Amino acid sequence: MSLKYVDEFRDSNLAKGLIKRIRAMSHKPLRLMEVCGTHTMSIFRHGIRTVLPENISLLTGPGCPVCVTAQKDIDAFIELAGRDDVILATFGDLMKVPGSHSSLSLEKAQGADVRIVYSAFDAIGLATQNPQKEVVFCAVGFETTIPTIAASILACQEQGVTNFSVYSANKLTPPALAALMQTDGVQVDGFILPGHVSVITGTDAYRPVFETYLTPSVIAGFEPVDILSAIERLVVQNENQSPALENGYTRAVSEQGNIKAQQVMHQVFEPCTATWRGIGDIPDSGMGLRPEYHGFDAARRFGIEMPDVPEPKGCACGEILMGLKTPESCALYKKKCTPMTPVGPCMVSSEGACAAFYKYSV
Amino acid sequence: METNAMKQDKIVLDHGSGGKISHNMMTDMILPLFNNPTLSKLDDGAALTIAGKRLAFSTDSYVVDPIFFPGGNIGDLAVNGTINDISMCGANPLYISVGLILEEGFETEKLQKILETMAGAAKKAGVQIVTGDTKVVPKGKADKIFINTSGIGLIYNGVELSGSFARPGDQIIVSGTIADHGITVLSAREGLRFDSDIQTDSAALNTMVKSIVESECDVHVLRDPTRGGVGTTLNEIASQSNVGIRIREADLPLRGAVKGTCELLGFDPLYIANEGKLLAFVSKNDAEQLLEVIRANEYGKDARIIGEVVESDPGKVFLETAIGGSRRVDMLAGEQLPRIC
Ligand code: SF4
Repeated sequence: MSLKYVDEFRDSNLAKGLIKRIRAMSHKPLRLMEVCGTHTMSIFRHGIRTVLPENISLLTGPGCPVCVTAQKDIDAFIELAGRDDVILATFGDLMKVPGSHSSLSLEKAQGADVRIVYSAFDAIGLATQNPQKEVVFCAVGFETTIPTIAASILACQEQGVTNFSVYSANKLTPPALAALMQTDGVQVDGFILPGHVSVITGTDAYRPVFETYLTPSVIAGFEPVDILSAIERLVVQNENQSPALENGYTRAVSEQGNIKAQQVMHQVFEPCTATWRGIGDIPDSGMGLRPEYHGFDAARRFGIEMPDVPEPKGCACGEILMGLKTPESCALYKKKCTPMTPVGPCMVSSEGACAAFYKYSV
Repeated sequence: METNAMKQDKIVLDHGSGGKISHNMMTDMILPLFNNPTLSKLDDGAALTIAGKRLAFSTDSYVVDPIFFPGGNIGDLAVNGTINDISMCGANPLYISVGLILEEGFETEKLQKILETMAGAAKKAGVQIVTGDTKVVPKGKADKIFINTSGIGLIYNGVELSGSFARPGDQIIVSGTIADHGITVLSAREGLRFDSDIQTDSAALNTMVKSIVESECDVHVLRDPTRGGVGTTLNEIASQSNVGIRIREADLPLRGAVKGTCELLGFDPLYIANEGKLLAFVSKNDAEQLLEVIRANEYGKDARIIGEVVESDPGKVFLETAIGGSRRVDMLAGEQLPRIC
């Protein structure tokens, strides 16, 4: 991302003009869903909900990688962290997610070697510095992070780093949108499609889903002006009943996306069935290591197969990320479940809907 | 599963974050045992009266990683930090102590450099390091070097400041750009290379406080928004004073490179540490005059009025966003970043 864009797209006059136009034009009740954790954060941080007319509601979809991670995968991370020979490398957001019996943060306090990293490449660094240990990277991410993870595996292969492996809970966005639209009760009048993911996938990746369900869809960047103009386009499409798949982030997203990144991703990974929290198993929505790279597969290397476990009782994360519920309608919200005592991942991740509601609402 | 930090039988990193979890440890575990009227004010330092003299006394420990970063190192951080905590009590810092905890194997050359920086910082600020202690622990039992500093100073005549003195109508001034220190340390630690010249803002604010006091402006609160950043400090003041606080995003001074790094990493600069900035709460009539006083100081050139104190929503902080929306600025539960100050 080029930094010089930031100010232009945060221009407050431009934003105020958009807000005026949206207010003038929008009459129908609209349920618009963002499917990207960075959008969720941006919407709250800039107070976008507070400037929209009442007939527009914004739903937080399955766009926060930590929130969609199945309970059994969280348990697998905790299981791996408990091994004496393992250094577990993870994104910070996973630390406090409650597994069935513990969390990475608690395991760390009890002596497990868990390190927070910013990318899979940091984890390779740990592997070369600690040759007597096994470094396992917890891969939770969408199309934005999968190519980097793939590149890290290729780099390990090239450099002969053998004490590095990846537990893949990676996921793909378009199959989740399709699964969502097939779910009973789900009502979405427009998708604000993720900017970063689309930089990799390109607009084309959404075409099959769009053509099947004809849900108005606009790819958006992350500044307030980006998000407001995506909302404006979704309002226009809905008011005119002219659904379209539009690219509102042309300064970064092309039709075909980043082909090089896609190639690297597909060289190392192949589609597989993945379990999404709340949604369940979605065919071809995960990315598992191809047979040639099974040596880097932590689940295989350590024989980890965790049982399917129910999500925490009363936690509505799954329904929230399908737009069926709001955090406020979860009985545990702000009572048993707070950022200090999180019950579900949506309250832990900074991109989670419950955490955002808790942090930014009155 | 029970994850409430207070009910955990082990300390987690968030207990040291300066956010809600640290705050709870303070109020639930520490205060009940050490309770006294001075400590329970929860100000940056203690205001004490000894033999008719009003003194400010404060202590702080520094465990920053990395120990060297653009614009400074753990040494000047430790000296300036305590100078600032004393200054925020409306006092003139005079003497400080230094406790060093060194890890076996730590290079003497680096220690020498840190000590020289500390001496330089103390000299520049006009305080003396008058007592100290050194301990060495076996390799792996500490991370290179930890420093504790404590200090005392004389509270200026007639000055009484506390985080509990904010009143509706007060204007809030920040003395310069925010989040510089936290982003510098993060970038240095993670080896993030942005073509930028961000460096720590670590500085002693005792001369700035002296001119604030001498201006005789009606100041109610001075605080340095270190760990936890401006957002956390404003929340502390809002709850100590039982008032509401409104700030404006458009008025927050932020360096371009810091802003860009925050954008990229998804961090909110309001929660990122500063080591050479203060927040001043001043009655409305004196706000412009105080702004000029702060701007005249070498560390206050970018000072801005960023918001005000209101009666509504006591204990809460709100931000008016640049696009005209509004949102809560809550205290974070734990860390946005691991230890940085
Ligand atoms: S408030 Fe907590 S329990 Fe309820 S859905 Fe959100 S994370 Fe789950």
